[in-house]
Amino acid sequence: MNTAVQDKFAAIKANYKQLFDQLEDRLNGYKDHPLHQLRRQAIDQLATLNFPGRKNEDWKYTPVTRMLQPSYKTGTAISVSDELLQAQSFEDLDVHLLVFSNGQLDETRSQIGELPEGVILSSIATALEGPQADKANKVLEQWAKSTDAFAALNMAFADKGVFAYIPANVRMNKPVYMLHVNDGNEAPFFSHPQRIIVAERGSESHFIERYVSPEDSVYFTNALTHIELGANGKLDHYKIQQESVQAFQVNQVDVLQERDSTYSSYAVDLGGRMVRNNLRTHLQSSGTMTNFYGVYLAKGEQHLDNQTFIDHAFPHCDSNELYKGVIDDKARGVFNGKVIVRQDAQKTNAFQQNSSLVLSQKAVMDTKPQLEIYADDVKCSHGATIGQLDEESIFYLRSRGLNKEQARSLLQQAFLKEVVENMKIDSIRTVVEKLISEKFDS
Amino acid sequence: MLKIKDLRVAVEGKEILKGINLEVKPGEVHAIMGPNGSGKSTLAKVLAGREEYEVTGGSIEYKGDDLLELEVDERAREGIFLAFQYPVEIPGVTTASFLKHTLNSVRKARGEEELDAFEMLKLLKEKTKLVEMDKKLLNRSLNDGFSGGEKKRNEVLQMAVLNPTLAVLDETDSGLDIDALRIVSEGVNRLKSEDNAFIVITHYQRLLNHIVPDYVHVLFDGQLVKSGDKTLAYKLEEKGYDWIKEEIAAV
Repeated sequence: MNTAVQDKFAAIKANYKQLFDQLEDRLNGYKDHPLHQLRRQAIDQLATLNFPGRKNEDWKYTPVTRMLQPSYKTGTAISVSDELLQAQSFEDLDVHLLVFSNGQLDETRSQIGELPEGVILSSIATALEGPQADKANKVLEQWAKSTDAFAALNMAFADKGVFAYIPANVRMNKPVYMLHVNDGNEAPFFSHPQRIIVAERGSESHFIERYVSPEDSVYFTNALTHIELGANGKLDHYKIQQESVQAFQVNQVDVLQERDSTYSSYAVDLGGRMVRNNLRTHLQSSGTMTNFYGVYLAKGEQHLDNQTFIDHAFPHCDSNELYKGVIDDKARGVFNGKVIVRQDAQKTNAFQQNSSLVLSQKAVMDTKPQLEIYADDVKCSHGATIGQLDEESIFYLRSRGLNKEQARSLLQQAFLKEVVENMKIDSIRTVVEKLISEKFDS
Repeated sequence: MLKIKDLRVAVEGKEILKGINLEVKPGEVHAIMGPNGSGKSTLAKVLAGREEYEVTGGSIEYKGDDLLELEVDERAREGIFLAFQYPVEIPGVTTASFLKHTLNSVRKARGEEELDAFEMLKLLKEKTKLVEMDKKLLNRSLNDGFSGGEKKRNEVLQMAVLNPTLAVLDETDSGLDIDALRIVSEGVNRLKSEDNAFIVITHYQRLLNHIVPDYVHVLFDGQLVKSGDKTLAYKLEEKGYDWIKEEIAAV
């Protein structure tokens, strides 16, 4: 049984290697580029690794074979229409826009605009030739020798990743908006977005990643993000995921937080056939604040898996985690929230809550809060609830004239509001509320 | 307007209403009194259309049509309103947006224009004044953390906004202090007209000092065993329900 699974991965990895070699042949002079050296290192590393199987506790509910089975090619750019861009913009919100189609940076569609002094927003390849090359290189090297198969795969095929550098005490007023338009109608493809964000001490910035798909098609997004947040810095990170309901996504985010910094993640998962998020923060010093907010809405045969990890290794750090979701039809949701409070991490405040509504007989939610506390002077709480819509509430709303669907939809939106209302940028919150209500009404 | 004939209702197989007969005409106020467990709230919920209550016999005719054929929300859109004994808390939905949703859905069903945000605000301001409710409550989640009195006032506010043809008040007076009772009653009295009717379900006579009924009915063990004018309510307040039990036993 186990060998069979490993063989399956071996065949998949052999395909990736073959695809890699084909790509390499087309590179010509680019082969010697430092970025490509790292890619080669990564594909070799991947050969030594295994994708996680069902026996891996962290992947118990999410079968990666399903994600990896389609024979993916690398994505080719599609044209992104004005209408689509317009539809994906946020009202009254100026942004630094980066557009990717099928994983390829679309330079004509991107509008970076004017950046505050000292800010770098470029491709990773460009960054490797710029003043922050060392910082970018260090992260890439980590990825190239990662023991995580998805990270190695990402590094092996990564192309135009994003590098952002925000100097000390610079406040970026406009969010960086990374819009991924994916359409795999031609043939299943995979794309490997990379982001390296270095936000120095005292800086403030917002990043939005969004995934949209004009058609329901099969493709695989395997994203990797590395964030370094300097002392007293603030970074808000939004993710709006509206992939095709036949698409796959693995999205890994690692955040390094220095003293007194605040990192907030707002993750909204609406699309995808199977989606796996790994959101991890690694505290580097004390006085930090970490907010993880998440909303997930699964219908049909969707499978949405959120794994979060907060490592409290220093005293006086706060973390606040709230994930809420609705699972309907034959869909499945997974939440695994791990919080470690190490022995030295006295005066930690760690709060975690996961609540789900499961609306049909065949819908499933697996939730596992994991709190490991080794310090004694801490305030920690966690809770997980799984429930249905309250019949008495439905009756109340209907007795005021709302029909059954309206009543249910209103209650579901109200249920998620506790999370959504934390989004500080009004126009993003408005878009998210609209997307949620559209998904309920569909 | 409303004709209830030999209505029998069971909950989880147990018969609660055992043949109710009642006719309500426009402009009338009917009070239904009775001891705990006599079936008062069951009658209220059956009129509103609660699905868990199984009608095992009889009929309810409303505006000439079979009321039992209508879903809960269809009844609301046809002008039936139930003021809940225990209004439900709905966190995450503000009272204002809830009222906007419901009123526009009711108006749409009646073939009336939906109100825009400005008109809605004006209407809500006017109606909150009617029930002497703090406008701040409009921006709070529906009934969430409201005091008992605030919840009941909110019920009357919703009634004022939806302007029903037939309103059923299910123990709206329970848990209210004298001031709240006065405010709630005045709200109801101002809504009274020649075209609408009220069924006031209560345990106590004191509400009927404020909302004066044309008829008082006594519900006992699933049947309306006695009807009269408002003096019947005084007698019940004074003597309790025992004399009625004796009367029934004597028959």
